[in-house]
Amino acid sequence: MPVAQSDLQCTACGGQCAYSPQREALVCDSCGTAHEIVVDPDIDATAETDHDALVPERPVSESGHAHRCETCGGTVTIAGAALSDRCSYCNGPLVRTLEDAGYPAMALIPFQLEAPYAAESARAWAARRVAAPGGLGASVAAGRIATLYAPFFTFDSTDLIDYWGTYTTKRGKRTVRRKKTGKFETDFDDLLVPASPHITPLIRDGVLHDFDPGTLRPYGPAYLAGFPAERHHLTVEEGLTAKKRDKDVLIRNRIKTHARRNLSNIGYRASTSGVRYRRILLPVYILHYEHGGKAYKIVTCGLHGKTFGERPFSHGKLFAYAAVISLAAVMAGIVYTLLGLP
Amino acid sequence: MSLLEPALSAAALVILGTVIGYMPTRRIIAMREAHHELKRGSASFLRATAGWAVIAFWVMALWFGGTVVGDWVRLGDLDAALARSWLRLRILLEIAAAIGSD
Repeated sequence: MPVAQSDLQCTACGGQCAYSPQREALVCDSCGTAHEIVVDPDIDATAETDHDALVPERPVSESGHAHRCETCGGTVTIAGAALSDRCSYCNGPLVRTLEDAGYPAMALIPFQLEAPYAAESARAWAARRVAAPGGLGASVAAGRIATLYAPFFTFDSTDLIDYWGTYTTKRGKRTVRRKKTGKFETDFDDLLVPASPHITPLIRDGVLHDFDPGTLRPYGPAYLAGFPAERHHLTVEEGLTAKKRDKDVLIRNRIKTHARRNLSNIGYRASTSGVRYRRILLPVYILHYEHGGKAYKIVTCGLHGKTFGERPFSHGKLFAYAAVISLAAVMAGIVYTLLGLP
Repeated sequence: MSLLEPALSAAALVILGTVIGYMPTRRIIAMREAHHELKRGSASFLRATAGWAVIAFWVMALWFGGTVVGDWVRLGDLDAALARSWLRLRILLEIAAAIGSD
Protein backbone atom coordinates (compact mmCIF):
# COMPACT_ATOMS: atom_id res chain seq x y z
CA MET A 1 0.00 0.00 0.00
CA PRO A 2 1.60 3.31 -0.99
CA VAL A 3 1.97 5.85 1.78
CA ALA A 4 -0.20 8.92 1.26
CA GLN A 5 1.60 11.86 2.81
CA SER A 6 -1.65 13.80 3.20
CA ASP A 7 -3.01 11.05 5.49
CA LEU A 8 -0.28 11.89 7.94
CA GLN A 9 -0.91 15.62 8.13
CA CYS A 10 -2.72 17.17 11.07
CA THR A 11 -6.21 18.33 10.11
CA ALA A 12 -6.01 21.02 12.78
CA CYS A 13 -2.75 22.77 11.84
CA GLY A 14 -1.36 20.95 8.79
CA GLY A 15 1.66 19.75 10.74
CA GLN A 16 3.29 16.36 10.45
CA CYS A 17 1.82 13.54 12.56
CA ALA A 18 3.59 10.54 14.02
CA TYR A 19 2.20 7.40 15.63
CA SER A 20 2.24 7.57 19.43
CA PRO A 21 2.42 4.14 21.14
CA GLN A 22 1.29 5.72 24.40
CA ARG A 23 -1.86 7.31 22.94
CA GLU A 24 -2.37 4.67 20.21
CA ALA A 25 -3.15 7.45 17.80
CA LEU A 26 -1.54 9.79 15.29
CA VAL A 27 -0.26 12.78 17.23
CA CYS A 28 0.69 16.07 15.59
CA ASP A 29 4.32 17.03 16.16
CA SER A 30 3.37 20.73 16.06
CA CYS A 31 0.11 21.16 18.01
CA GLY A 32 -0.11 17.83 19.84
CA THR A 33 -3.60 17.01 18.56
CA ALA A 34 -4.36 13.27 18.66
CA HIS A 35 -6.10 11.76 15.64
CA GLU A 36 -7.76 8.39 16.06
CA ILE A 37 -6.65 5.79 13.53
CA VAL A 38 -9.70 4.51 11.73
CA VAL A 39 -9.47 0.88 10.66
CA ASP A 40 -11.78 -0.66 8.07
CA PRO A 41 -13.86 -3.14 10.12
CA ASP A 42 -14.29 -5.36 7.05
CA ILE A 43 -10.57 -6.16 6.92
CA ASP A 44 -9.62 -9.21 8.97
CA ALA A 45 -6.00 -8.62 9.99
CA THR A 46 -5.67 -12.16 11.27
CA ALA A 47 -6.65 -13.71 7.92
CA GLU A 48 -4.16 -16.14 6.43
CA THR A 49 -3.44 -16.86 2.78
CA ASP A 50 -3.23 -20.36 1.34
CA HIS A 51 0.13 -20.97 -0.25
CA ASP A 52 0.11 -22.28 -3.78
CA ALA A 53 3.64 -23.07 -4.96
CA LEU A 54 2.48 -23.04 -8.60
CA VAL A 55 1.30 -19.44 -8.52
CA PRO A 56 4.27 -17.08 -8.92
CA GLU A 57 4.41 -13.99 -6.71
CA ARG A 58 5.01 -10.61 -8.26
CA PRO A 59 6.87 -7.94 -6.27
CA VAL A 60 5.33 -4.48 -6.08
CA SER A 61 7.50 -1.43 -6.58
CA GLU A 62 7.22 1.53 -4.26
CA SER A 63 8.95 4.83 -4.77
CA GLY A 64 9.47 7.97 -2.75
CA HIS A 65 9.75 6.55 0.76
CA ALA A 66 12.44 3.90 0.39
CA HIS A 67 15.86 4.49 1.95
CA ARG A 68 18.84 2.25 1.39
CA CYS A 69 21.63 1.81 3.92
CA GLU A 70 25.06 2.52 2.47
CA THR A 71 26.69 0.09 4.92
CA CYS A 72 24.55 -3.07 5.01
CA GLY A 73 22.42 -2.53 1.91
CA GLY A 74 19.18 -2.93 3.87
CA THR A 75 16.18 -0.99 2.65
CA VAL A 76 13.58 0.60 4.91
CA THR A 77 10.44 2.55 4.13
CA ILE A 78 9.82 5.68 6.12
CA ALA A 79 6.28 7.04 6.24
CA GLY A 80 6.14 10.71 7.13
CA ALA A 81 9.13 12.57 8.48
CA ALA A 82 12.22 10.47 9.09
CA LEU A 83 13.23 10.45 12.74
CA SER A 84 16.74 9.42 11.88
CA ASP A 85 19.07 9.27 8.92
CA ARG A 86 20.75 6.13 10.28
CA CYS A 87 19.98 2.49 9.44
CA SER A 88 17.91 0.69 12.11
CA TYR A 89 19.88 -2.49 11.58
CA CYS A 90 23.51 -1.44 11.45
CA ASN A 91 23.54 2.30 12.24
CA GLY A 92 24.94 3.04 8.76
CA PRO A 93 23.94 6.19 6.83
CA LEU A 94 20.63 6.03 4.93
CA VAL A 95 20.13 7.51 1.50
CA ARG A 96 16.84 7.94 -0.32
CA THR A 97 16.48 5.41 -3.13
CA LEU A 98 14.30 5.76 -6.19
CA GLU A 99 12.47 2.47 -6.05
CA ASP A 100 12.09 -0.53 -3.78
CA ALA A 101 10.49 -3.74 -5.05
CA GLY A 102 8.90 -5.92 -2.38
CA TYR A 103 5.76 -7.69 -1.26
CA PRO A 104 3.02 -5.84 0.62
CA ALA A 105 2.57 -6.59 4.30
CA MET A 106 -0.91 -7.80 5.25
CA ALA A 107 -0.93 -6.77 8.88
CA LEU A 108 1.15 -5.38 11.70
CA ILE A 109 1.17 -4.97 15.44
CA PRO A 110 1.78 -1.33 16.33
CA PHE A 111 4.41 -0.21 18.81
CA GLN A 112 3.13 -0.33 22.37
CA LEU A 113 6.26 0.87 24.15
CA GLU A 114 8.11 4.15 23.89
CA ALA A 115 11.81 4.29 22.99
CA PRO A 116 13.06 5.41 26.47
CA TYR A 117 11.61 2.24 28.02
CA ALA A 118 13.36 0.13 25.37
CA ALA A 119 16.69 1.90 25.97
CA GLU A 120 16.35 1.32 29.71
CA SER A 121 15.42 -2.33 29.11
CA ALA A 122 18.49 -2.81 26.89
CA ARG A 123 20.76 -1.24 29.54
CA ALA A 124 19.29 -3.49 32.24
CA TRP A 125 19.80 -6.53 29.99
CA ALA A 126 23.46 -5.63 29.46
CA ALA A 127 23.95 -5.07 33.21
CA ARG A 128 22.74 -8.63 33.93
CA ARG A 129 25.36 -10.28 31.70
CA VAL A 130 27.66 -12.74 33.43
CA ALA A 131 31.38 -12.52 32.49
CA ALA A 132 30.83 -9.17 30.81
CA PRO A 133 33.90 -7.03 30.15
CA GLY A 134 34.45 -3.89 32.21
CA GLY A 135 32.90 -0.81 30.69
CA LEU A 136 30.11 -2.69 28.93
CA GLY A 137 27.49 -0.63 30.76
CA ALA A 138 29.09 2.61 29.59
CA SER A 139 29.31 1.31 26.00
CA VAL A 140 25.61 0.37 26.03
CA ALA A 141 24.66 3.69 27.63
CA ALA A 142 26.46 5.48 24.79
CA GLY A 143 24.60 3.37 22.20
CA ARG A 144 21.93 4.61 19.82
CA ILE A 145 18.40 3.25 19.84
CA ALA A 146 16.67 2.69 16.51
CA THR A 147 13.05 1.79 15.86
CA LEU A 148 11.91 -0.61 13.19
CA TYR A 149 8.92 -2.54 11.94
CA ALA A 150 10.66 -5.79 11.05
CA PRO A 151 9.14 -8.14 8.45
CA PHE A 152 8.05 -11.62 9.53
CA PHE A 153 6.09 -14.50 8.05
CA THR A 154 3.70 -16.56 10.13
CA PHE A 155 3.29 -20.07 8.79
CA ASP A 156 0.69 -22.72 9.58
CA SER A 157 1.07 -26.25 8.30
CA THR A 158 0.18 -29.84 9.03
CA ASP A 159 2.95 -32.43 8.81
CA LEU A 160 2.71 -36.19 8.67
CA ILE A 161 5.95 -37.46 10.22
CA ASP A 162 7.34 -40.91 9.53
CA TYR A 163 10.37 -41.38 11.79
CA TRP A 164 12.99 -43.88 12.89
CA GLY A 165 15.78 -43.86 15.46
CA THR A 166 17.63 -45.87 18.07
CA TYR A 167 17.72 -45.93 21.85
CA THR A 168 19.76 -47.81 24.43
CA THR A 169 18.30 -50.02 27.14
CA LYS A 170 19.64 -52.37 29.81
CA ARG A 171 19.35 -56.11 29.21
CA GLY A 172 20.70 -57.76 32.31
CA LYS A 173 24.14 -56.26 32.75
CA ARG A 174 24.47 -55.41 29.08
CA THR A 175 23.49 -52.19 27.38
CA VAL A 176 21.77 -52.91 24.08
CA ARG A 177 20.72 -50.59 21.29
CA ARG A 178 17.22 -50.95 19.85
CA LYS A 179 15.46 -49.49 16.84
CA LYS A 180 12.20 -47.58 17.06
CA THR A 181 9.95 -46.35 14.28
CA GLY A 182 6.72 -44.39 14.41
CA LYS A 183 4.29 -42.13 12.61
CA PHE A 184 2.25 -39.15 13.78
CA GLU A 185 0.59 -36.00 12.54
CA THR A 186 1.56 -32.64 13.97
CA ASP A 187 0.43 -29.06 13.44
CA PHE A 188 2.52 -25.92 13.33
CA ASP A 189 0.51 -22.84 14.20
CA ASP A 190 1.74 -19.30 13.64
CA LEU A 191 5.41 -20.25 13.36
CA LEU A 192 7.21 -16.90 13.14
CA VAL A 193 9.95 -16.71 10.52
CA PRO A 194 12.07 -13.56 10.14
CA ALA A 195 11.77 -12.24 6.60
CA SER A 196 14.89 -10.17 6.98
CA PRO A 197 18.51 -11.30 7.22
CA HIS A 198 19.01 -8.77 10.02
CA ILE A 199 16.70 -10.44 12.56
CA THR A 200 18.16 -13.83 13.41
CA PRO A 201 16.05 -16.71 14.77
CA LEU A 202 18.01 -16.37 18.05
CA ILE A 203 16.94 -12.75 18.46
CA ARG A 204 13.36 -13.64 17.45
CA ASP A 205 13.16 -16.30 20.17
CA GLY A 206 14.69 -13.88 22.66
CA VAL A 207 12.27 -11.02 22.14
CA LEU A 208 9.05 -12.49 20.73
CA HIS A 209 7.77 -14.80 23.44
CA ASP A 210 4.05 -14.04 23.25
CA PHE A 211 2.92 -13.50 19.69
CA ASP A 212 -0.85 -13.10 19.68
CA PRO A 213 -2.38 -12.88 16.17
CA GLY A 214 -5.44 -11.31 17.80
CA THR A 215 -3.49 -8.08 18.27
CA LEU A 216 -2.71 -7.74 14.56
CA ARG A 217 -4.04 -4.63 12.80
CA PRO A 218 -4.58 -4.23 9.05
CA TYR A 219 -1.48 -2.74 7.46
CA GLY A 220 -1.82 1.03 7.28
CA PRO A 221 0.63 3.93 6.86
CA ALA A 222 -0.71 5.67 9.98
CA TYR A 223 0.94 3.09 12.25
CA LEU A 224 4.22 3.55 10.39
CA ALA A 225 4.30 7.32 10.72
CA GLY A 226 7.63 8.16 12.35
CA PHE A 227 8.84 4.55 12.38
CA PRO A 228 10.99 3.00 9.64
CA ALA A 229 9.71 -0.28 8.26
CA GLU A 230 11.52 -2.89 6.23
CA ARG A 231 9.44 -4.19 3.38
CA HIS A 232 9.06 -7.90 2.69
CA HIS A 233 11.66 -8.83 0.10
CA LEU A 234 11.48 -12.62 0.39
CA THR A 235 9.06 -14.78 -1.59
CA VAL A 236 6.94 -17.23 0.38
CA GLU A 237 9.08 -20.05 -1.02
CA GLU A 238 12.18 -18.33 0.38
CA GLY A 239 10.36 -17.92 3.70
CA LEU A 240 9.55 -21.63 3.74
CA THR A 241 13.21 -22.42 3.04
CA ALA A 242 14.26 -20.16 5.94
CA LYS A 243 11.72 -21.97 8.15
CA LYS A 244 13.18 -25.42 7.38
CA ARG A 245 16.10 -25.21 9.86
CA ASP A 246 13.85 -24.23 12.76
CA LYS A 247 11.18 -26.73 11.81
CA ASP A 248 13.76 -29.53 11.70
CA VAL A 249 14.74 -28.83 15.34
CA LEU A 250 11.08 -28.70 16.41
CA ILE A 251 10.16 -31.91 14.55
CA ARG A 252 13.09 -33.79 16.12
CA ASN A 253 11.97 -32.62 19.55
CA ARG A 254 8.37 -33.72 18.85
CA ILE A 255 9.67 -37.11 17.65
CA LYS A 256 11.45 -37.61 21.00
CA THR A 257 8.23 -36.71 22.83
CA HIS A 258 6.16 -39.03 20.63
CA ALA A 259 8.61 -41.93 20.95
CA ARG A 260 8.75 -41.52 24.76
CA ARG A 261 12.38 -42.60 24.48
CA ASN A 262 15.66 -40.76 24.44
CA LEU A 263 16.06 -41.45 20.72
CA SER A 264 19.32 -40.86 18.89
CA ASN A 265 20.29 -41.19 15.21
CA ILE A 266 16.87 -39.81 14.37
CA GLY A 267 15.76 -39.74 10.75
CA TYR A 268 12.35 -38.78 9.40
CA ARG A 269 10.25 -38.07 6.34
CA ALA A 270 7.75 -35.20 6.56
CA SER A 271 4.78 -34.75 4.30
CA THR A 272 3.64 -31.14 4.59
CA SER A 273 0.18 -29.92 3.65
CA GLY A 274 -2.14 -26.99 4.30
CA VAL A 275 0.51 -24.27 4.25
CA ARG A 276 -0.99 -20.89 5.10
CA TYR A 277 0.90 -17.70 5.70
CA ARG A 278 0.74 -14.05 6.65
CA ARG A 279 3.18 -11.28 5.81
CA ILE A 280 3.35 -9.12 8.88
CA LEU A 281 5.43 -6.38 10.46
CA LEU A 282 6.41 -6.52 14.13
CA PRO A 283 7.81 -3.62 16.14
CA VAL A 284 11.31 -3.81 17.56
CA TYR A 285 13.79 -1.40 19.06
CA ILE A 286 17.43 -2.05 18.22
CA LEU A 287 20.12 -0.53 20.42
CA HIS A 288 23.43 -0.27 18.56
CA TYR A 289 26.57 -0.08 20.60
CA GLU A 290 30.28 -0.56 20.14
CA HIS A 291 32.67 -2.25 22.51
CA GLY A 292 36.34 -2.97 21.87
CA GLY A 293 35.97 -1.68 18.32
CA LYS A 294 33.24 -4.19 17.48
CA ALA A 295 29.58 -3.41 16.77
CA TYR A 296 26.81 -5.21 18.67
CA LYS A 297 23.03 -4.87 18.90
CA ILE A 298 20.46 -5.43 21.62
CA VAL A 299 16.88 -5.89 20.45
CA THR A 300 13.81 -5.04 22.53
CA CYS A 301 10.32 -6.12 21.50
CA GLY A 302 8.11 -3.08 20.96
CA LEU A 303 5.16 -4.96 22.44
CA HIS A 304 6.12 -6.39 25.82
CA GLY A 305 9.69 -5.20 26.26
CA LYS A 306 11.43 -8.60 26.15
CA THR A 307 15.07 -7.97 25.39
CA PHE A 308 17.84 -10.08 23.89
CA GLY A 309 20.97 -9.32 21.97
CA GLU A 310 24.62 -9.67 21.23
CA ARG A 311 27.26 -9.22 23.89
CA PRO A 312 31.02 -9.44 24.27
CA PHE A 313 32.73 -11.64 26.88
CA SER A 314 35.61 -10.83 29.18
CA HIS A 315 38.38 -13.36 28.46
CA GLY A 316 39.81 -12.90 31.97
CA LYS A 317 36.46 -13.56 33.67
CA LEU A 318 35.79 -16.61 31.48
CA PHE A 319 39.19 -18.07 32.42
CA ALA A 320 38.51 -17.25 36.08
CA TYR A 321 35.14 -19.07 36.01
CA ALA A 322 36.78 -21.99 34.15
CA ALA A 323 39.51 -22.10 36.84
CA VAL A 324 36.93 -22.23 39.65
CA ILE A 325 34.96 -25.04 37.96
CA SER A 326 38.18 -26.94 37.14
CA LEU A 327 39.39 -26.63 40.73
CA ALA A 328 36.01 -27.81 42.07
CA ALA A 329 35.93 -30.83 39.72
CA VAL A 330 39.52 -31.88 40.51
CA MET A 331 38.95 -31.41 44.26
CA ALA A 332 35.73 -33.46 44.06
CA GLY A 333 37.72 -36.28 42.44
CA ILE A 334 40.46 -36.11 45.08
CA VAL A 335 37.97 -36.07 47.98
CA TYR A 336 36.01 -38.93 46.37
CA THR A 337 39.00 -41.29 46.46
CA LEU A 338 40.34 -40.02 49.80
CA LEU A 339 37.00 -41.11 51.29
CA GLY A 340 37.84 -44.62 50.03
CA LEU A 341 35.03 -44.75 47.49
CA PRO A 342 35.53 -47.13 44.50
CA MET B 1 55.91 -40.24 49.77
CA SER B 2 56.11 -36.51 49.15
CA LEU B 3 52.83 -34.72 48.55
CA LEU B 4 54.61 -32.32 46.23
CA GLU B 5 54.26 -34.42 43.10
CA PRO B 6 50.49 -35.11 43.44
CA ALA B 7 49.96 -31.45 44.38
CA LEU B 8 51.86 -30.29 41.29
CA SER B 9 49.89 -32.78 39.16
CA ALA B 10 46.63 -31.48 40.58
CA ALA B 11 47.73 -27.89 39.87
CA ALA B 12 48.72 -28.83 36.31
CA LEU B 13 45.33 -30.52 35.89
CA VAL B 14 43.53 -27.37 37.06
CA ILE B 15 45.59 -25.19 34.69
CA LEU B 16 44.93 -27.52 31.75
CA GLY B 17 41.24 -27.67 32.71
CA THR B 18 41.12 -23.87 32.81
CA VAL B 19 42.61 -23.52 29.32
CA ILE B 20 40.32 -26.19 27.86
CA GLY B 21 37.40 -24.88 29.91
CA TYR B 22 37.23 -21.46 28.21
CA MET B 23 34.73 -22.61 25.58
CA PRO B 24 32.65 -24.90 27.88
CA THR B 25 32.36 -22.02 30.38
CA ARG B 26 31.14 -19.71 27.64
CA ARG B 27 28.70 -22.45 26.69
CA ILE B 28 27.43 -22.68 30.30
CA ILE B 29 26.74 -18.94 30.28
CA ALA B 30 24.99 -19.14 26.89
CA MET B 31 22.84 -22.04 28.16
CA ARG B 32 21.96 -20.13 31.33
CA GLU B 33 20.95 -17.10 29.28
CA ALA B 34 18.93 -19.33 26.94
CA HIS B 35 17.13 -20.92 29.90
CA HIS B 36 16.16 -17.57 31.32
CA GLU B 37 15.60 -15.49 28.23
CA LEU B 38 14.65 -17.55 25.19
CA LYS B 39 11.12 -18.67 24.49
CA ARG B 40 10.57 -22.13 25.98
CA GLY B 41 10.28 -24.83 23.35
CA SER B 42 11.42 -22.55 20.52
CA ALA B 43 13.98 -23.73 17.98
CA SER B 44 16.70 -21.44 19.40
CA PHE B 45 15.93 -22.60 22.95
CA LEU B 46 16.25 -26.26 21.92
CA ARG B 47 19.46 -25.53 19.99
CA ALA B 48 21.04 -23.53 22.82
CA THR B 49 20.22 -26.03 25.54
CA ALA B 50 21.34 -29.08 23.54
CA GLY B 51 25.08 -28.49 23.75
CA TRP B 52 25.73 -29.61 27.31
CA ALA B 53 27.67 -32.79 26.32
CA VAL B 54 30.94 -30.87 25.89
CA ILE B 55 30.50 -29.39 29.39
CA ALA B 56 29.85 -32.86 30.85
CA PHE B 57 32.94 -34.30 29.12
CA TRP B 58 35.12 -31.48 30.45
CA VAL B 59 33.91 -31.82 34.06
CA MET B 60 34.03 -35.65 33.95
CA ALA B 61 37.61 -35.63 32.61
CA LEU B 62 38.71 -33.28 35.40
CA TRP B 63 36.92 -35.31 38.05
CA PHE B 64 38.58 -38.47 36.72
CA GLY B 65 42.00 -36.82 36.82
CA GLY B 66 41.24 -35.75 40.40
CA THR B 67 40.41 -39.32 41.43
CA VAL B 68 43.77 -40.55 40.09
CA VAL B 69 45.57 -37.84 42.08
CA GLY B 70 43.48 -38.71 45.17
CA ASP B 71 44.36 -42.41 44.87
CA TRP B 72 47.99 -41.49 44.34
CA VAL B 73 47.95 -39.55 47.63
CA ARG B 74 46.06 -42.33 49.46
CA LEU B 75 48.06 -45.31 48.14
CA GLY B 76 51.39 -43.53 47.75
CA ASP B 77 51.87 -45.28 44.42
CA LEU B 78 50.99 -43.81 41.02
CA ASP B 79 50.94 -47.21 39.26
CA ALA B 80 48.47 -48.59 41.81
CA ALA B 81 46.35 -45.43 41.46
CA LEU B 82 46.28 -45.82 37.66
CA ALA B 83 45.38 -49.51 37.98
CA ARG B 84 42.46 -48.64 40.28
CA SER B 85 41.26 -45.95 37.88
CA TRP B 86 40.51 -48.37 35.01
CA LEU B 87 37.11 -49.42 36.37
CA ARG B 88 36.09 -45.79 36.91
CA LEU B 89 37.31 -44.95 33.40
CA ARG B 90 35.15 -47.72 31.92
CA ILE B 91 32.08 -46.44 33.75
CA LEU B 92 32.84 -42.85 32.67
CA LEU B 93 33.30 -43.94 29.05
CA GLU B 94 29.90 -45.65 29.17
CA ILE B 95 28.34 -42.47 30.51
CA ALA B 96 30.20 -40.44 27.86
CA ALA B 97 28.97 -42.78 25.11
CA ALA B 98 25.39 -42.39 26.36
CA ILE B 99 25.76 -38.59 26.44
CA GLY B 100 27.46 -38.57 23.04
CA SER B 101 24.66 -40.50 21.37
CA ASP B 102 22.04 -38.18 22.89
